Amino acid sequence: MDAESRAYHEAFMREAIAMAELALKSDETPVGCVFVRDGNIIGRGGNETNRTLNGTRHAEFVALASILQSNPITILEETDLYVTVEPCVMCASMLRQYRVRAVYFGCWNERFGGTGGVLNIHSDPSVDSPMPVFGGIFREEAIMLLRKFYVQENEKAPEPKQKKTRELKTEIAPTDIHAPKDAATKV
Amino acid sequence: MSTPEVAASSLEQLGLVARRGQLQPLKTKDEVRAALETYSAYVVEVPAKHANAVKDVIQDALPDLRTSDFGHLRRVVQFKFLPPHLQKTFHPPSRLPRGDEDEHSDVPEDALAEELDTVRFFLVSPTRYIQPADLLLALRKKPPFDILPTAPRILYVTVPALAPTSAEQAAKWTIDYWPIAYKNTNPYGPHPSLVLRNTADLSYEAGHWLALAREAGRQISDLQLGENIGCVIVDKTKGVSNIIAVAGDCRWRSPVGATTPQQGQGNVMAHAVERAIAMVAKKRLRVANANPDLLDRPLFCDSPFTDLEKRFFAMDNLEPHGYLCVDLDIFITHEPCVMCSMAILHSRFRRCVFGRRVPLTGGLAADEAVKKGDGSIGAGNGLGHGIFWRPSELNWKFLAWDWVDEDENDTVLSIKDTLHI
Ligand SMILES: [Zn+2]
Ligand SMILES: [Zn+2]
Repeated sequence: MDAESRAYHEAFMREAIAMAELALKSDETPVGCVFVRDGNIIGRGGNETNRTLNGTRHAEFVALASILQSNPITILEETDLYVTVEPCVMCASMLRQYRVRAVYFGCWNERFGGTGGVLNIHSDPSVDSPMPVFGGIFREEAIMLLRKFYVQENEKAPEPKQKKTRELKTEIAPTDIHAPKDAATKV
Repeated sequence: MSTPEVAASSLEQLGLVARRGQLQPLKTKDEVRAALETYSAYVVEVPAKHANAVKDVIQDALPDLRTSDFGHLRRVVQFKFLPPHLQKTFHPPSRLPRGDEDEHSDVPEDALAEELDTVRFFLVSPTRYIQPADLLLALRKKPPFDILPTAPRILYVTVPALAPTSAEQAAKWTIDYWPIAYKNTNPYGPHPSLVLRNTADLSYEAGHWLALAREAGRQISDLQLGENIGCVIVDKTKGVSNIIAVAGDCRWRSPVGATTPQQGQGNVMAHAVERAIAMVAKKRLRVANANPDLLDRPLFCDSPFTDLEKRFFAMDNLEPHGYLCVDLDIFITHEPCVMCSMAILHSRFRRCVFGRRVPLTGGLAADEAVKKGDGSIGAGNGLGHGIFWRPSELNWKFLAWDWVDEDENDTVLSIKDTLHI
């Protein structure tokens, strides 16, 4: 990848990281994303699983719910996703069903990644066409945010309070984030 | 009230009739693999008395041999316990220890039977461990083959590579491949007794909740807001079943609540499973005295729309302090797509039953797809994801069944085969 296109992708990943930081401030697992069409951000999202008590309210869902409020679904066919952590199996399937054009992500998710970290939902046999994915953009920054969250949660809960709540809050432990098992293309 | 009474009366009030049929536990990804994988192995015919000596010879010749390769296979087998096709190919035995080879043609029946009793068929190793010539050499160096006039007879068999996952499978393999040792465990999925217990626990009510899920699908598709797909979430932790949420598919509902033209995939986030899970979350917020509409967005379609959805959403029957959908069960008219299968896993459900397999889009069945030459897929039994039970890769697992309805001609739930549920 040449310097110019690297700079292009990194600029959007910085915006995704800003959304992850926002999530962190709200005591959410710091994962953030932006959707980009024609060089413009058309939607942003951060994790909302803890506040909604809904384990499916991932950043990608949150962003798409606002985008599709005022855009037709077909717009996604010419839209790219930038997300700080590899989409999980659920989100990978959703993005492919919506025919999102391409996915750019920061670090891999070895606990339930759906685009190379654990499964390959973007490229497995399916009635939907394959979805290109590119991982490793600002990987360290994405991991650092997850570490911060881990420390923050541990400091806040020195006593083992409700174990079940804590389980959700650390749904992606920093130790789970490494390199891909088999490589999604590195940018 | 007992569970059957509760189940029956909840349907009666709604004028619904329970489906009749049977629960069929899904095979896990590893179970499917275990059922398909075989390897080729050497078998050598040995005098019964020397079976242990030959075992030692093999141990010395193949120090790297892993017993895990054949722990599920009987190592030493009498002729009469061989599967029929092997009896046919291995017969007659080479009559190792006796001196009457010249009269082979007219040995009386009972003498032959006696002779068969003096030999054993010894499973040596997978063929990949040693060349046949080297095996022969190793065997001839030590008793009994160092003194016998005839060379050891080396035979080939195909055997299952992995242990059986049920007594029935062990029995079938014993006839199809080679005698199997079954240890009443299942290294590739839930323990058989766990599956049996849970199948029994759900067998009566499953038909009821599937009827209810079906009604949820009917009501929503009558409004043209979604496909004829529905699901029901049930809490049975207290022994008696409580219906927590009922939801239908809402993919054709526009952001302002109108119906949209049924083109493309529609609103993927509004699949029935996603909606039902969101309703559980809203109930949790409500019992915690928080605002159930917190961070709500119309596109999630997580408010109840039909009479049926509203009726159950209104009930405050969820235990406080619960977490996601831990200990809850979900019943769906069709096999959920990969997204919804993973949503069930993220939500930590306990058990899942679905009414009808969807081989081209389903995420739960582990059976493999038929891959065509051009890279596309054909209608096999599934995509091979088996998301409900992949404990070495995913951080939660649950039990799953599909439903075999007694009414084989039922077309109400027919859908386009490329539809994501
Ligand atoms: Zn996700
Ligand atoms: Zn679905």
